[in-house]
Amino acid sequence: MCDHCLKHGTAGKWYLNAKFYSDELAEELDLKEFLLEQYKTFEAMQVRKFGGFSAVGMGYKRQMPIIGRIVKHTAEKMLHSKKPSRNPFKAEGHIGQVVPLDDAIAILETCIPENSLIMKYCMCRYMHKGEKEACCINFGIMSEIIDKLPRFIPEPEDSKFRLTKEEAIEKFTEFNKKGYIGTIWYGAYPYINNLCACQTPMCAGFRPRTEFGIKSIFKAEYVVENNPNNCQGCKRCITMCQFGAIEFDDKTKRAVIDQSKCYGCGNCLLVCRFEALNLVTRKEIPALAGDY
Amino acid sequence: MGKIKIKIDYSICGDGNKIDPRDCTICLKICEPAIFLLHPSLKFQKEDDPYDPKIWRVTPVYPSLCTLCMKCVEQCPENAIRIRN
Repeated sequence: MCDHCLKHGTAGKWYLNAKFYSDELAEELDLKEFLLEQYKTFEAMQVRKFGGFSAVGMGYKRQMPIIGRIVKHTAEKMLHSKKPSRNPFKAEGHIGQVVPLDDAIAILETCIPENSLIMKYCMCRYMHKGEKEACCINFGIMSEIIDKLPRFIPEPEDSKFRLTKEEAIEKFTEFNKKGYIGTIWYGAYPYINNLCACQTPMCAGFRPRTEFGIKSIFKAEYVVENNPNNCQGCKRCITMCQFGAIEFDDKTKRAVIDQSKCYGCGNCLLVCRFEALNLVTRKEIPALAGDY
Repeated sequence: MGKIKIKIDYSICGDGNKIDPRDCTICLKICEPAIFLLHPSLKFQKEDDPYDPKIWRVTPVYPSLCTLCMKCVEQCPENAIRIRN
């Protein structure tokens, strides 16, 4: 592990700090048993009731005048919780953030504890689509936990279970090129153990936010900006965006970005052949500064 | 528009009955907004293998996102899905 990161962090990006990924932190928070208990029935999290509410029928619950607001408040309070006392059946402190490719590579290169990288089947794709796709990169104590739960371990023809740093970076780059969104997840706050390659609508992390207005995931530290002089109107970026943030302007024959909808995953950059798109730091744009 | 109600007959599919939803998954795959959830059945949690649960069921978790395309009703090989609008 990088000593520099442990002591100082790196400038600007809060998640490029090995402290959040360290086994010491997981031990300090006593997360081994908690995470094992949580992942044993992870798929059932959305149907369990807490305080009288489960996520079942969330759309209709959110439409109700007062109850809708209570549900949002309760769900956000639970997801954003920073308290150490936890119930493994709740998604307490399980909050994520979008990370673009370069930052994900930096995380994999500098922050992850040695020899702890694993690949597991994505739970969201399995529980909502019945598809087994190995595309979740886990690390730290998660490697010991998933080891005990056979349904998450990929078949040899799908993927290797244990990955080297280089393999993980290669796989993750591949996912980004497919249009999957890189996200990191606390499990639970402030320990980070997941680098997912997400897809809407089945991602259980994105859905509460995109469909029900519950902040279950934060936007990236970046936002995409386009350079209309370079744009040739090929529309490749539009097909890549999962949030409908890019539209085609018929008058100018160029792509236009709605920055308020942009999550900053940077996948559109990967398909642009004319260098018309850039990632800029969200903080630097006054209108978007606090919009995570 | 009224609330959409989706019912799955658990006496046919899931809960250790005739069909194991993990072997079928047709409704999950066919649903474009992915409103179904395949999960270990909480009812049988005590007797099931905690590390590798064997008894699963499908719950329609987000009926509000249903587009009423009726593909799941048509394609379910056991006719176990009913949708009421």
